[in-house]
Amino acid sequence: MTIRNALRDHGQRYRPRMACLKKVEKVLLEMQDPCTGVKSQPQRLVITIIPHAITGEDIIAWLADRFQIDAQEARSFGSMLVALGYIYPLQDHKRLVIKPDASLYRFQTPYFWPTQQWPVEDTDYAIYLAKRNIRKKGILELHEQEQYNHLHKWMNHKWDFVVMQAKEQYRAAKERKKPDRVVFDCQERAYWVVHRPPPGTVSAMDYGLDRRTDPNTDEVTGESPHDLLVKYSATYSGHDPFLSKCLPSSPWLTDDTTYWTMNMSNVEIPTKMRVERWTFSFKELLSDPRGRDDFRLFLKKEFSGENLAFWEGCEDLKWGTAVTMREKAEQIYKTFLARGAPRWINIDGKTMEITVKGLKHPHRYVLDAAQTHIYMLMKKDSYGRYLKSPVFKETLKKAICPEEHKFKNRRPSLSPIIIRQQEQEQRAKMAANAPVDITQVMSKLSKQGKEMGPRHSK
Amino acid sequence: MGKEECKTMLDALNKVTACYRHLVIALGSTSDSQNLREELKKTRKKAQELAVANRTKLTTLLKDKTISKDDRAEYERLWVLFSSSMELLEVDMKRSLEIGQDFPLKVPTRHLIQTGMTGSTNAVAARAMSVQNMKYEADSNIDTADLRDLQTEITQVSQMMEEMEMKVQVAPWAVVAKQEAGAELKSNMSVGNSSVGVISISCSLFLFRVFSCSFECKKKKHCNL
Repeated sequence: MTIRNALRDHGQRYRPRMACLKKVEKVLLEMQDPCTGVKSQPQRLVITIIPHAITGEDIIAWLADRFQIDAQEARSFGSMLVALGYIYPLQDHKRLVIKPDASLYRFQTPYFWPTQQWPVEDTDYAIYLAKRNIRKKGILELHEQEQYNHLHKWMNHKWDFVVMQAKEQYRAAKERKKPDRVVFDCQERAYWVVHRPPPGTVSAMDYGLDRRTDPNTDEVTGESPHDLLVKYSATYSGHDPFLSKCLPSSPWLTDDTTYWTMNMSNVEIPTKMRVERWTFSFKELLSDPRGRDDFRLFLKKEFSGENLAFWEGCEDLKWGTAVTMREKAEQIYKTFLARGAPRWINIDGKTMEITVKGLKHPHRYVLDAAQTHIYMLMKKDSYGRYLKSPVFKETLKKAICPEEHKFKNRRPSLSPIIIRQQEQEQRAKMAANAPVDITQVMSKLSKQGKEMGPRHSK
Repeated sequence: MGKEECKTMLDALNKVTACYRHLVIALGSTSDSQNLREELKKTRKKAQELAVANRTKLTTLLKDKTISKDDRAEYERLWVLFSSSMELLEVDMKRSLEIGQDFPLKVPTRHLIQTGMTGSTNAVAARAMSVQNMKYEADSNIDTADLRDLQTEITQVSQMMEEMEMKVQVAPWAVVAKQEAGAELKSNMSVGNSSVGVISISCSLFLFRVFSCSFECKKKKHCNL
């Protein structure tokens, strides 16, 4: 069972680009194997001996062997493991790299591993800083001190808790034997070096912004957003006027506005590309006014036009002004929902109950449930039939595919380079036939410049 | 008086939360063992008892409309302490479930991470239970059986916290802390360094010059959640 850490974060933010973590964890477990894993040795501090220390060169050698890569790549891989926080250095603990010598490292405990679903909490950091404060008797490093002050300010309402927890955690840690205490301190310190690095250091945990949707799966269809994006791009790339040719031509390039006039909302005969877009999805059909007209025609022939009319009424209510809302809602009720209404729509009993109840105190979204129901009805039923109907086939047959613009009658304006050259030539001519009075020359030139001016803008 | 009782119970909950966190950190590492799992289970049970007791006590106190403003402010402060403890506890419970599932003990070859920690955690657990020595009584399949219990307990705690958020009308951001910056340096940490502590207090207060937090609880706004 996977427990999603919603933690009552109703915004449900997800961190992207952490898919590598699961793979790293597998590698890390392999490294633990007593026979085939990395060789460990005891670390000797002044009087205590702590086991399970590994050297940088051993890690690199193991990685090179396991993945059949060269030493340089193994070193980068090793540094990545350290930067992510799965292995921490025992000496020079602030530099998160693997050194290919006898420097010592140790594995981090699973609780302190970086994970996709457990974001690093500021409360924990505050508790850690308070503990460190106790340990260091008030002398924190500069960036830690700044963070401490900052947290004290904005987390002030929790500060009593922070102090209490810090003291208790400090006391609890003292209950362990000396070697374990040392290890625990190193572990915790390493964790915060990774997740709250001093300013100016590059952190492997920098992932940009939180995402609105889970980058690993799409909740409804089970496809990842990547697949959906690929699908969307493949479908629409032919229709994008920037990526593909736009028929007859892009007005921005040829100064010819035929494309816009051909694709207006009330045009009698649509273009082939436009009609093709209606087949992509029901949403596409409804959002194009010409498409909606076609669909309306089809529904009229089928005598089920009330569904679309109701849907449009709901849209009108949603987007309309607040003043008109009450009467609009009443109108819709009288026309579509009341018993014996002239254009009665067929929705299920429960939705009808909710809607009627809501209409007692109408607001913008009171008809949402009914609208969704009707939308899905049209989408699943009418839309399919529409695409096979004679109405649609007729429209498709009549649809035009305009010819490509041949750039024949295009009249480009004068290039500014040529205009500048002409200006200079004229000045030279003036200078050659110059009258003696210089002011006359200057005024003549400036007059000519002004005359040239309006012509440039054409 | 209600306040004193509350405070003692909150202190106890705080202590148990701290010990529980300490135990969870050892999960999956070489200091993981049957005993650790049992310690986790017992500490967790104790934490839950304390949580329920605290909640009932605090909700009754907060529901009382006849208390003075200062009293109410104090109870709100205690409520924030309580809910923060519960948040920590909940996260730790969820993480212990996750790690416990990833590192099973009843397998032929255990794959525990060689973290360098090899000692036992029974002193920490004893501290949580406030008993002299832990008594180990569990069966050998504690890790799997306990995990199922843990799942149900986690749902219970989550539900309790949802209820707390929805029903108790306390604005947590409006609480003013009684402790100033550097307060953790003040009280006697251990028998040995109290004299060192006195000297360091004046230094630390000098260092943290920016803050002059007031010690009285100010008037709070009551927001309806």
